[in-house]
Amino acid sequence: MTLILDIVLRLAVWLLLAPLLPGIINKVKAWVAGRRGPPVLQLYYDLAKLWRKGVVLSTLASPGFVAGPAVAWVALTGAAMLMPLGPAGSVVSFNGDVLLLIYLLALARFCTVWAAMETGSAFEGMGAAREVSYAVLAEVAIIAAVLSLSVETGSVSLVTMLSPSLGTGAVLLAAGLFTVLLAENCRVPFDDPNTHLELTMIHEVMVLDHSGPPLAAVLHGASVKLLLFTVLLVQAVLPMGELSPLGAIAALAAGVLVVTVGVGLAESLLARLAFRRVPLLLTTAFLFCLFALLVAWKGGAE
Amino acid sequence: MTAAPLLLVAAGGMVLGILIGRMTPRLWLMVTLVSVIAGFAAGAMVLGGGNEWEWRSAFLVGGEPLHLRLDAISAFFLVLLCVIGGAGAVYGHGYWSKLAHPRSVRSGRLWWSVLLSSLGAVLLVSNGLHFLIAWELFTVSAYFLVTLDRQRSEVRAAGWLYLGASHVAMLCLFAFFTLLAVRTGSWELGSMRDRSELAPLFWLALVAFGLKAGMFPLHVWLPSAHANAPSHVSAMLSGVTLKIGIYGLVRFSGWLPVPPEAGWVVAFLGVTSAVLGVAFALGQHDLKRLLAYHSVENIGIILIGLGFALVAMGQDNAGWGRLALAGGLLHVWNHGLFKSLLFFSAGSVLHSTGTREMSQLGGLWRMMPWTASLFGLGAVAISGLPPLNGFVSEWLIYLGLFDATLARGPSAWMAIPAAILLGMTAALALACFAKVCGVVFLGAPRSQAAAHAHESGPAMRGAMVLLGAACMAIGLAPVVFWSAVVRAVDVWNPVWTGAATSDHAWPVALSELGLFHVALAVLALVAAVWLWRRVRRGSFSRALTWDCGYALPTPRMQYTAGSFASIITEWFAWILRPVRHEHRPETLFPQSASFTSHTPETVLEYVITPVTEIVMRVSRAARSLQHGRLQFYLLYLLIGLAALAVVVLLGGGK
Repeated sequence: MTLILDIVLRLAVWLLLAPLLPGIINKVKAWVAGRRGPPVLQLYYDLAKLWRKGVVLSTLASPGFVAGPAVAWVALTGAAMLMPLGPAGSVVSFNGDVLLLIYLLALARFCTVWAAMETGSAFEGMGAAREVSYAVLAEVAIIAAVLSLSVETGSVSLVTMLSPSLGTGAVLLAAGLFTVLLAENCRVPFDDPNTHLELTMIHEVMVLDHSGPPLAAVLHGASVKLLLFTVLLVQAVLPMGELSPLGAIAALAAGVLVVTVGVGLAESLLARLAFRRVPLLLTTAFLFCLFALLVAWKGGAE
Repeated sequence: MTAAPLLLVAAGGMVLGILIGRMTPRLWLMVTLVSVIAGFAAGAMVLGGGNEWEWRSAFLVGGEPLHLRLDAISAFFLVLLCVIGGAGAVYGHGYWSKLAHPRSVRSGRLWWSVLLSSLGAVLLVSNGLHFLIAWELFTVSAYFLVTLDRQRSEVRAAGWLYLGASHVAMLCLFAFFTLLAVRTGSWELGSMRDRSELAPLFWLALVAFGLKAGMFPLHVWLPSAHANAPSHVSAMLSGVTLKIGIYGLVRFSGWLPVPPEAGWVVAFLGVTSAVLGVAFALGQHDLKRLLAYHSVENIGIILIGLGFALVAMGQDNAGWGRLALAGGLLHVWNHGLFKSLLFFSAGSVLHSTGTREMSQLGGLWRMMPWTASLFGLGAVAISGLPPLNGFVSEWLIYLGLFDATLARGPSAWMAIPAAILLGMTAALALACFAKVCGVVFLGAPRSQAAAHAHESGPAMRGAMVLLGAACMAIGLAPVVFWSAVVRAVDVWNPVWTGAATSDHAWPVALSELGLFHVALAVLALVAAVWLWRRVRRGSFSRALTWDCGYALPTPRMQYTAGSFASIITEWFAWILRPVRHEHRPETLFPQSASFTSHTPETVLEYVITPVTEIVMRVSRAARSLQHGRLQFYLLYLLIGLAALAVVVLLGGGK
């Protein structure tokens, strides 16, 4: 009974809070540019509107075109259930759950790409090709980051891995994970969530042909993924285990807010990279995580 | 009840199958199925906790008494052989039918039976000489199956390459077993871990079995043989015979002592095979050749597990080695299942469209929904995604590598790069299968053949459904299979039996993983169905792909296999060496322009072929000494005698 209550509460927190993040990012961008900008709750309105709208399907699309976003959404929500929330821990926790989390993100990617390829369009093929290619480097960086957390704490379970702080390596790990966050969530400088018609995009171009409820699932799933990465980054860096429960919750919330504002600032102040530079930046992120691993290694040896 | 009566039924069925294979297809199929079911039951009995079965007889074969043994390792591979062998027989019944292939359908059945029985014999015999006989028989029968369609010249070329490469492996095996027999004084095989002077023989075994398993860079025979064989044979080659190479490595690294650096070498070769195998796969435009390169990748993943188990054994039998080997062995099953499933689906595409070129396919889901969804299932499994079986075995290997890192010994220096590159391999495999699914099954048909495809018959679909179900079973209930895997691991290294500290932790983690997988699968299904119904209930219409407003998209505008993979193949251009044929638009009003690119068999064309050419040149030069003129032969004799005389005189005339 408590388990069910726990799951319901968590789902409520994750699913209801996630769409707030893109709103905050947009507000920060508007503030930097001196505009008023859309309301913080804009994505909630969009989702509600999309859910009521009808759907136009491509004549080429199979039921997989709709199933793709649905399965991707389930995978991302499942990943969120694995992610511990400060003192509350996570719903299920076992040795190696961290790898399951990484691979759930990969499953979501596979489903999104599958749905994109359904349309037979060159645009969406291009976006899909970019998505899977750059994800290779992002995944390598994440594995290095996870290894460094694992070496630091001597564990392969998320709850224990994320409780202590990383000490000296924290800065490196934060830099690496922040870059991966930007890449995986299709933010500037990797991708531009504002443009829809450019040949320069990754994620947006994959969902060009989605409409109505499936598009709502895609957008909501993307916001859950953003929240997931933010929570991961904050907990990897802050010493969650050493704070009192209330303090930890407050620190987590403040950290998420800081990272979100950081994304907004990065998006306002940086230009999008040329595509041939993207691998270079992702490799840099990997090196940050690798150095964090070396620092963790060295720290443990003393 | 022991395994003996079941094995007797299996063997009897196989012999009967060989006898009647040429005549009665239905009876042959039934006999074969009964036989593989009996074999499966025997293997499952041993894996499920039954006693090992051993049988020594006074009956001599080739001058040696027959000695058979079914322990957990043999049983582990026997079960896979029976599943794929049975599924392949059913599939082949529909795929290689009498109507389509009147010339080879009978010999196809015959050689299938011979292949299954010789593979079974390889797994059961416990005598070096009999191992060699069974091995050669299996190599030759696989050759005849690969070249069933030998009217086509590329099939003959592929078969020839396969036969040549297999006999290089055979030569190494001859050397291995004779040296072993000379040093131990008997052809009998069994555990002899304590005789450390046998350790160097491991290198011979590594070359022989590695070549058979398709380990990089000894994989040169594999892509063309797998691509050109009939698809049920490709599935058998990839799903089982490669694993027999792994069986050899596991068997003899368990029975014989290994040199201390063996584990490092195997792990290094595994990582290389994994990353480069998938990189080469990304460069392919031929559906079956692409799948063949994925076998190289997956053999690499298995070898990572085995390599780290060997490293762990060298370092006080660390517990993580057990985990790595369990992951590697489970991946043997998993790869056997999903790769056979993928080859079956590729075969059903080939069967209905007549082409393996991905640039000719597209949009097949509409005509072939079963094949498309089962291929999709196999793609999710081979990309190592939850909730299917590929993830479970990769997860175990990862955990072995993580524990090796946490142990902080010298092994960590290899485990860290291996874990990172394993992650890279999985991401690359995802990219590759996203490409295949998208280009072959989704979008619009790129040719008339693809537009008029048809779904395959019940026999072919049935075999595919069986394998798909097996993939799901291992993914959703991994803990059920854990004890079988552990039994094989403990036979490999008995020291680990119950000694590992985390003995109880892993089944718990696995059952939690299984529960999570079940929840994920159920919820994904519910969500997909619900969203689909929601879409159908609302205002719903079909229109051309919007694509930012193209009024008249044509199938040729779609992304192709080459363009989808181009970003990644660019990164690996240093080893793939892609060949580009470019015809640029030249004048002000160009009439034509074209661009094609393909990835050659780099290792074969740039390494093996030049070396064989040098060998051929030397041989040709030597041949000019042989001209059939008696006078010159006498002269050679004279020179030889003179040389001997000089040697004897200079050596002191003793």
